[in-house]
Formats: sequence, structure tokens, C-alpha cells
Amino acid sequence: MATDSKRPTYTVEAIPSDITSSVFLGNPALDNVVSCLIAMNAEMWATKRRMKVLEALLAKKGVTQAMIEGYVPSAAEAAEWERERDRFIDLAMGPLGNQSFRNISENFPKG
Amino acid sequence: MIGRRELFGATAASLALAKTLTADAAQTAAGNVVAGPGAGLAKPIRGAVQPRGMDGRLVRLPTLDLESEQDFTRGFRLLQNRQLRAASFAAFERVLEREGLDQAAPITVEQLRALIERDPVVNMASKTWLDNQHYTWKTLRDHFHAHADEYLSEMEAADKTGPGTLDIPAKIDVPDYARHEIHIQPGGYVGDPFAGHLYHYGTNSFYVATTLGKNDQDEAHKSSAAKLPLPADGKVKRILDMGCGIGQLTVALKERFPDAEVWGVDIGAPMLRYGHLRANKLGVGANFAQRLAHETGFPDGHFDLVTSYLLHHEVPADITLRTIAEAQRVTRPGGVYYPLDFASGGLKSPPRSMYARWWDHRWNNERWTLEYHSLDFTKEISQRGFSMVKNAEAVIRGYGIRHGVRV
Repeated sequence: MATDSKRPTYTVEAIPSDITSSVFLGNPALDNVVSCLIAMNAEMWATKRRMKVLEALLAKKGVTQAMIEGYVPSAAEAAEWERERDRFIDLAMGPLGNQSFRNISENFPKG
Repeated sequence: MIGRRELFGATAASLALAKTLTADAAQTAAGNVVAGPGAGLAKPIRGAVQPRGMDGRLVRLPTLDLESEQDFTRGFRLLQNRQLRAASFAAFERVLEREGLDQAAPITVEQLRALIERDPVVNMASKTWLDNQHYTWKTLRDHFHAHADEYLSEMEAADKTGPGTLDIPAKIDVPDYARHEIHIQPGGYVGDPFAGHLYHYGTNSFYVATTLGKNDQDEAHKSSAAKLPLPADGKVKRILDMGCGIGQLTVALKERFPDAEVWGVDIGAPMLRYGHLRANKLGVGANFAQRLAHETGFPDGHFDLVTSYLLHHEVPADITLRTIAEAQRVTRPGGVYYPLDFASGGLKSPPRSMYARWWDHRWNNERWTLEYHSLDFTKEISQRGFSMVKNAEAVIRGYGIRHGVRV
């Protein structure tokens, strides 16, 4: 991801790792599914952890379960939630599109 | 004991596996980023990112989700260490047994790879370890790049303030060997403007499987700084931390020796900028400069104590030798040189360790670790103007004991 800032970054070009094109499980699709599992479980844990924060705060403020169930988001909230949803799906399911081809036995590429 | 296997964990997964730089740094060439004494950073950055407060000396990650995602990766490292590694070890042993090999078997790493790399249990441990590592970097990088201008603005403001100094030359050649994405960190230490941010929050979880359990409060670096031996005359006026990265040890040393002039040098400008920003926030007057460890630019015999933290296994062997020579040049007679890094001295080891080291090199992108381990680092120091202290104490258990006194 390139930055959209015009401020100096003091960076030089790095030599990229080829890790994302590696296949460990014999089938690139299977590797991608495992990547999804890691990401999805991380996202699920983040959600559960946020719920724990919310429940603790709500209980202290007297917010009831019925109030939560009956809540209707505003248009702005709905738009924000959609952005969050898309980020979630990208994190959780994006690896399905990985282009993996490098065999686990391969040495570093020449050059 | 903190071993490479525990700290950086790739093994665990795959086997289941400074011209003078003193206080007058403000006189450096035009165009340099030069910081001087001034007020510390008290203002939070502005914009969409709202400060979430401090956890001791650690700035809390800017969103609850990001914090939770890192919490997950930390937990997954524990799972790796406690369960997946054990399964992988067992699978490894089964392969050896099937092939009629034992841990003393004379076998090359290439032969081992041919045997092991088809084992699904070992490969699942490898794959999930790498995914977890990748997820750590991606989530952190996504956040800092999404708010790039705010974070760059924060560093820009810090660049020119103190209490410590920051010197980034207008032009400096960054050698290829320092451009690799070590630990598969995107952009490595030189190619991403937020390399320091990523490194700090990303590597904290590396300590979860060590005896320290965490490094959120710089436990490893503060412990190291506290244990580093002093020159016999007790004089410590100047200290150099070579390859300081984000300056966790540099800051800890300044905190231990508040009256000393403490310098951290590194080739990674983004790392130094973050380190300087962080030192400012902590109110610690450590000085940072973008320099190669083997070309620091300091005067001969300038320092009383010269050290480094996990530098040498990240550079080629010839650079390690040149860095020892530079340490010899800048350490005063009677001064101490004590580089902190993993024990080294040969690539011959039992099959599991041998394969683990190769795996760490190849898949955790530790490009120079095999060269490092091919050296007897301690012996090399003793042959370059240092008298090694006999029966010296380990600063970090499991690391090499390298207490050199400048002859």
C-alpha cells in the first residue's frame, strides 16, 4: 500500500520476500484456505474482545438487551459499517486470491 | 533462557518450526534532519487517529481492533509454541525414525529438506506460523498507511525536537544486504516509512514464548542494559549502541546512565525516526544517527561502552568482522565491547536444529543467519583487539557471552 502523503519518508527500495508465493500444503488453494482461517479467527477474536469491552461499559450505564436489539443505525452509521464489513471480508477472505506457485523446496531466486 | 528459536519462533513453527557526532550534531550538512534540545512531544497527533492512552511506557495501539488483532497473533504464537511445535517435532522424529536416522546422524540440510518437506504436519505448522506473522505485519501496516500523513507529520515534528538528537544525512548509501524484509516484515527496516512502528508492535509478540513472556515495557532491553558490565575503572561517559533499530536498548542505556552521552546508530532511517520519536515521548535524551555499524564516523577511542542488540545475525559475516574492527577503533582502552546476539559457532548441529536454522533463514527471511552461525563470533572478537573476560556472566541467558575489554 503506497502512502498518499507527500511528506518525506526517508525510505529506500527494499528487496521483497517471496513468502507470499510459497506453497506449503501441496495445493495453493489449500494454503489460501489456511490463510483465511488465521485471518478470520483473528477477526473473530477482535470482535469478541470488543464485545467484552462494550458489555462491560453498557452494564455500567444501564443499557438493556432490548435497547440493543431494537437499535436502527443512521445512514452515516450504515455507511461506516459497510466500510468495516468490506475491510473484514478483505482480511478474512482476500487470501483466496493469492497467486501461489513457489515450491517449498525452492532456494532463493537468482539475481 | 531466550533462544533464537523461542524469540523469533520460526524454528518453532517449521519444526512443528556517526565526522564526529557529539552534541554539535546541529552542524551537519545542510539538508540533514537534525534534532536538538527542546520540548518533548506532549501533543497527540491530530486527525482520525485518537490517542488511546499509555500502557506503562507503551503507547496503546490506536484502535481497539488493531490491539485485538495483535492480541490474537500473540495468542496464536503461544499455541504454536505449546502445541503445533510439539506436533511438528513429533512428526520430524517420525520421519527420522522411518529413515533409520537419529539426532547424531551425519546428514546434510539438503537431504533433510528432501525428507521433511513432504510431511503435512510439519508443513501445516510452517504455513500457520507464517500466516500469523504475515497477519501481524499486514494489520499494522494497513493502519499506519491508512493514516500515513498523520503519522509522518508526527515524526516530522519530532525530528526537530529533543531532548535527544536525530541525524539523518541528506544522502547515504544503504547497502543491499540491509534491504531484505527480515522476519518477512514488509519493506524491511529501510523500505517502509513506518518500519519502526511495525517493528515495535510486531516484535513485541516475539517475546511471548520466552522466559520474559513479553517485551511491552522493554523488559528485555531494560534487563540487558542493567546487566551490561562496566569498564574496570567504572567510567561510563559515552555509550554506543550499534545497529540500534528503534533504540529500545539505546533508551534503556540512557536511563541507566542518565549523565552519559548515549548514541544509537542504524542504517534504517524509518526505524531511527520512530526511535527518536519514542525517546522524546519517554523524555529520554538518547541520540540517534543514520550510520552503518562498521562506519560510525566517531573518533578513535570515543566510547567507554559499545554494544548492540541482535544486530549481527542480520548482516553478512564480512560486515560482522568489519563491525568488530569498528568497535575496536571507537572503544577506548579499558572500555567494554559486549555485543548481544545469539550463540554462534558452526553450522553443525542435530538434524532438527539444522533444519530449523535453514527454515528460519529461508522462510522467515533471515538472509544472513547462516553466515552468522558459520562464524565463531566470540573468537573473532578476541582476535581484533579485545581481551575476553573469562567466566563472564551472560547478559541474556542463551545468548553468546562476549565480554570484551579493549586492549
